[in-house]
Amino acid sequence: MSKTTLVVALLAVAVAAAIFIGPAALSADVLQIRLNRVILGIFAGGILGFCGAILQGLFNNPLVEPYTLGSASGAALGAALGIVTIGFLNPLFAFAGSLGVGLLVFVIARSHAGALQDRLILAGVIMSFLCSSLVMIIMVMSGRELYEILYLLMGYLGVIMNPGQRVIAIAILVLSLAIVIYLYRHHRELDILSQGAETASGLGVDTHRLSRNLFFATALLTGFVVSLVGAIGFVGLVIPHIAKRLFGPKHLRNLPASFILGAAFLLLADTLSRTITVYELPVGVVTSLIGVPFFIYLYSKR
Amino acid sequence: MTEVIFTLGAQDDLAGVTTYCDYPDAARKLPKVGDFSNPSLERIVGLKPDLVIVNLPEQNRIKTELEQYKIQVFVTEPESLADIYRDITNLGGRIGRQRAADSLVAYMRKRIRPTGRKPKSVYIELSPRPLITIGRNNFLNEMVGMAGGKNIFDDLVRPYPAVNQEEVIKRDPEIIIILHPEGIKDRIGWRKIEAIRNDRVYTDLNQDQLLRPGPRLVYGFQALEKLFE
Repeated sequence: MSKTTLVVALLAVAVAAAIFIGPAALSADVLQIRLNRVILGIFAGGILGFCGAILQGLFNNPLVEPYTLGSASGAALGAALGIVTIGFLNPLFAFAGSLGVGLLVFVIARSHAGALQDRLILAGVIMSFLCSSLVMIIMVMSGRELYEILYLLMGYLGVIMNPGQRVIAIAILVLSLAIVIYLYRHHRELDILSQGAETASGLGVDTHRLSRNLFFATALLTGFVVSLVGAIGFVGLVIPHIAKRLFGPKHLRNLPASFILGAAFLLLADTLSRTITVYELPVGVVTSLIGVPFFIYLYSKR
Repeated sequence: MTEVIFTLGAQDDLAGVTTYCDYPDAARKLPKVGDFSNPSLERIVGLKPDLVIVNLPEQNRIKTELEQYKIQVFVTEPESLADIYRDITNLGGRIGRQRAADSLVAYMRKRIRPTGRKPKSVYIELSPRPLITIGRNNFLNEMVGMAGGKNIFDDLVRPYPAVNQEEVIKRDPEIIIILHPEGIKDRIGWRKIEAIRNDRVYTDLNQDQLLRPGPRLVYGFQALEKLFE
C-alpha cells in the first residue's frame, strides 16, 4: 500500500469513527450533530496542520506554528473580549483579534533591520505573551464566562449551533478553503525558500513579499479556526513533522499530507475525548496527551 | 453568606463584601474587597475584621493567606442543603445571632421539603459553551429531587460538570431549565428531545434563587415545585 493510500485511509477511518462512535444512538438528529463535529474537525485539524507546514517551510524553522506568530493568541484575546462584552458575534471578534495582532507583529518586525523572517518570529512570540496576559486579566475579572474562555483556550469541537450560526460557519469554511488553495499554489517557492533566504533571493524569489503574503494568509486562517473551535494546540506544530517524515521535504506533497493527517488526527482525538467520559473534555487536552507519546515513538524509531 | 447575615439582622457588623454580593441592595453600598474568586488580601486586612467568612472551594487561597495573618476565619462549604443549614447555624453562633439563625434554618427546612410526587426528568443548563449543568454534589440537585424532579446528570459527582450534548439527547429530559439568556429551541439536533417537543423549556427562573446558598432558596424551591406540578 502506498503512503498516500495509507494517509487517505487513515482519514476515512477517522471520519467513520467520528460518525459511528458516540454516546447517543445514531439517528438523523444525532447524525447532524456528528457531521458538524466531523466538518469542524477536518477544517480545524487540516488547516492547523497545513498552516504549520507552510510556516515551518517559510521560516525554515521546525518550531514555528500558527501559535508562535501571535495570530492565535490575538484571536483568543479577541474572542475572550467578545465573550465578556457582548456575548455573541464571537467569530468576528476572534477574527479581528488575529488580524489586528498579525498586523501589529508585521509592523513591529518591519521596523527593524535584519531578515524579516527572524524578526517576525520574535515579534510574534512577544505579542503572544502580551495577548496571553491580557486574556488572563479578562479571565480574572470575568464571572461565569470564565469556563467559556477556558474552553476557548483549550479548544473543543462540541460547539452547539443553531441554523444561523451554521450559515456563518459554512461561510468561514468556504473562505478558508479559498485561502488554502491560494497558499498551496506557492509550494514551489516554499521549496526554494527552505534552502535559505539568500539562496532563494538569488534564484529570483521575492522573499520579502512572499513572507508577507504567507504570513497574513496563515494569520487569517488561524483566526478562522480559533473563532470556530478555539485554540487547539499541538496539531500545527507536530503534524508537519510527521508529514515531512513520510513524504519528504517537497511541499507539493507534504502540504496536502499535513492537511489530511491533521484532520485525521484531530478527529480521532475528538472521538476519544467524547467517548471516554460523559464530561465534555476539551479536545486540545487530548491532542497533546496522545500526540506526544506518538511523536516520541515515531522519532525514536528512526 | 452576605444574604444570610442581612437576614440574621447583623448587617451593621458587615465591614466589607465582594463584588458578587449584590443582594439585598444595601449590600452593594458596602466596601468591596474584590470579586468572589479573587478577593484582595490587602483590602480585607485593611478593614480590620474580627471574622472573615470564606466560601470553599473558590476562596481556599485567601483562607490560607488569612490564617497566616492570624485573622479568624469562618469556613462555609455549601455542597448540600445540610451543609447550608449547618453553616447558617454555626455562623449564627459565631456572630451572636443564634436564635435568628435557628429560626431561619427551621423556616428553610419547613419550606424545602420533599413533595412525594412521581419525579419528572430534568436537564438544567447553566452555560451554553461548553454545556454546564449540575451534578450530584450540588444542593440544587437535592432541591430538584425534593420538588418532584430528577436531574438527568445526578450520576455525575462533580457539582458543576461540563457535559457532551449527545448525552443530553440520549438522556432525553422531560423538562429543561435554562439559567442563561441564550435560546436553545433551534439548536441543531435537539428538536426530538421530549422537553422541546412538548414545549417544556423554562427560561424565566431566577438563577440567584437556585444557585446561591441562602434564604432565597425557598423562593427558588417554590418556583421548581410549581414547574414540576
